[in-house]
Amino acid sequence: MTELEPGDELPRLAYGPTPLDLFRYSAVTWNPHRIHYEEAYARSEGHPGVLVHSHFRAALALRCVTEGLGSGWALVRTAYRLRRPATPGDTLVYGARVATVDGDTAELELYEDHPSGAHGLEGTAVVRRTGEGRA
Amino acid sequence: MPEFTPDPGTPLGRYYAHMRGRLGDRASHPLGTLDAVTIGRYALTIGATDPVHHDRDAARAAGYADVVAPPNLLAAIFEWGAGTEPGGLGPDGTPSRADQAGDGLRAMGAGEEMEILAPAVAGMEIVEDESLDAVVAKDTRGGPCVFVTTLHVFRTPDGTVLNRNRRTVVRRDPIEEP
Repeated sequence: MTELEPGDELPRLAYGPTPLDLFRYSAVTWNPHRIHYEEAYARSEGHPGVLVHSHFRAALALRCVTEGLGSGWALVRTAYRLRRPATPGDTLVYGARVATVDGDTAELELYEDHPSGAHGLEGTAVVRRTGEGRA
Repeated sequence: MPEFTPDPGTPLGRYYAHMRGRLGDRASHPLGTLDAVTIGRYALTIGATDPVHHDRDAARAAGYADVVAPPNLLAAIFEWGAGTEPGGLGPDGTPSRADQAGDGLRAMGAGEEMEILAPAVAGMEIVEDESLDAVVAKDTRGGPCVFVTTLHVFRTPDGTVLNRNRRTVVRRDPIEEP
């Protein structure tokens, strides 16, 4: 996208994490936390099942931004909070809406539509126009 | 939500007191070299197919020195290098601190703020500066909990800051949940 206006919506990104995805995410980040790969342990802690990593969900939300905007924009800042846990089998849909535009900088609202009907993740992302290349 | 102080006789209360005593603690850790395999594997796992994460020529054509990491890779790596030996892992699988203050408490990522100041590309040596920023206890609908916020600054050895990341982890004691 070259021009942004408040209210613009980026293409949504749907993702259904699987146990295999969680295994690979734990492996590549060398994360040994049992709540992400051991169902019985996760349930013993009171979780509904093994949990999708918070950083994994953030990475998906940021993909929605970077892939939706394309190479003419660079992510410079983001903030997010997790509102609901997510487990394999959930379909998580990420969206980003332009909130403000100030010159070459725009702020977007990030969200994850969660199967509960609420937002599972909410946040913001600030992007800056980089021209033809990448920052 | 008003702050409160957890019962000091509970595991959560002891954890809260311990962490409050550590407020302001700082440490620096050399993390090693960010390599192209880690970048490619991370990008593959999160479904990021942009060639700048996978192909050096594509990355160079886009203006990077080498393949570039997705924005939150540095913050997402749980342990760098070989990691913790099995005997050093706590009951939940995460490294047990020497004081074991958090052992037995449930830990989950609660949120994060991140500034991306420069791209992290393959071949860079990474150093992490860490400081304990905030320790806040709250009595929530899900029971009492403690939010610990840590600032992580990822930089190169010459001081170029790549990524400044403030991450909050929440801990609860399962037996205190309603």
